[in-house]
Amino acid sequence: MHSDTTGSWTPVALSADLPAGTVIPARISAGSIALWRSESGRLSASADRCPHRGMSLSHGFVRGEALSCIYHGWSYAQGGNCIRIPAHPGLTPPETIRARTFAVEEAGGVIWVAADETETKPPVLEGLTPLRSMTTDAGISAIETAAGTKASAEGLIEPAGGTLCLLVSARNDGQTLIHVLLKGETSPADRIAASREAESLRRAAEDLQKKGIAS
Amino acid sequence: MSMQAMIDEWYPVGIAAQLDTAGRNTLLMGEPIVVATDADGQAKVTGGNGRTLPVRIRYGHVWTSLGEPKKEVFPIPEADQPGRRYVDVGVVRVRCSPLRAVENFLDIAHFPFVHTDILGAEPHTEVQSYKVEIREDVDEVWATQVKFYQPQAAKSASGGITTEYMYRVPAPTCSVLYKTCPPRPSEWDVITLFVQPLTEELCDVWPWMALFDDDTPMTDLIHFQQTIFLQDRSILENQIPRLLPLDPGMEIPTRADLTSVAYRRWLKRHNYTYGAQLVAQ
Repeated sequence: MHSDTTGSWTPVALSADLPAGTVIPARISAGSIALWRSESGRLSASADRCPHRGMSLSHGFVRGEALSCIYHGWSYAQGGNCIRIPAHPGLTPPETIRARTFAVEEAGGVIWVAADETETKPPVLEGLTPLRSMTTDAGISAIETAAGTKASAEGLIEPAGGTLCLLVSARNDGQTLIHVLLKGETSPADRIAASREAESLRRAAEDLQKKGIAS
Repeated sequence: MSMQAMIDEWYPVGIAAQLDTAGRNTLLMGEPIVVATDADGQAKVTGGNGRTLPVRIRYGHVWTSLGEPKKEVFPIPEADQPGRRYVDVGVVRVRCSPLRAVENFLDIAHFPFVHTDILGAEPHTEVQSYKVEIREDVDEVWATQVKFYQPQAAKSASGGITTEYMYRVPAPTCSVLYKTCPPRPSEWDVITLFVQPLTEELCDVWPWMALFDDDTPMTDLIHFQQTIFLQDRSILENQIPRLLPLDPGMEIPTRADLTSVAYRRWLKRHNYTYGAQLVAQ
């Protein structure tokens, strides 16, 4: 784990994968979360469970500045408080109905979520452009071995001699989430090549993991 | 979890018209069973250790029990009215608690969001007050005077109508719904949800209908119900926890959920807890 120096911040997704008016599932050490962006562009992260009937909120929908549960349409504001219960349109939902929320920050095209309350900010990754995300069954040490270098305190793995940079975070389901980032200016051909290189690295890391070579 | 109280109940384990001698290998409350016809063409259910389990044929389905049922399979008097068409809808396997499957069936507030433009549509989301009771004489949960605006209440409905519903829970994993019958306003259509508990977190749902509808092709009737239940499955497989929480605190009901509140209370009273979570975590 590389949580010692990044505090409780986890890089959960790339900004490009969460357009305005959408919700996606993500994971942090505290569990599954619903990560959503309102139509005006405000980011929010809430526990992935509607307190009404336990439905996963990441299956829900975003309308305006609220996230709604797909089961009964209960709507939640950015702060996690329920603001609308469609079965009772005249009712102002009590303050006690709320989904737990988490601090969320976006910098350099990466979305970070903090599992706990924190005064810290997520690390700033200078000069890197996000390309894509992928998950793997390989652990971080297998990825380090495949890349031939260790991860930095921020969770960055930089294989020598290329434009490629991997931002890795271990998930509590045993998988590793990898954000592929690129250094400097790149052409579309560079980006395609980097994407393939990242896939080869992942395959190599998974082979190592399977053989139990990773230490 | 305690199986004891629920073990003496009847459960659906197959469609009677589809039995054969090869048999259907399935599970009932975790026990492997085989549902087949014997040499005389009679339905036969065999338990895990080879013992013969009790069998009933009712409402198009084969029913059995791992224990010793104290009552017959619950009655549905309306189902025996002449002129009804019986629809064996088939089976939908759902990775959820059998009790969650029943609770979802008792819920109308999800219609506009899950069965959009079929059983409900925004902005018609309001759930009017209705009556809920546990009828002590028959020991069933009943909800009556349930009304909801529906764009297409049934295959036989054309255009939106306000549909009236009555719900019954006569057994822990079964519910009977009586619903406005578009071609015959004085009668009720009967739509049931028979749930076979495979395990506490996995079930086979056998919907069945007894309708006054002589016109709609059987295939269309089946497709209509299968569409509805597949939409429900997308919800049921994504609820957390998978077990139905019976203690208050884990989930927050409102007035629209009074049927579910009564159902949970009734389950708890009878110790019907196979598929339930008892302590809030």
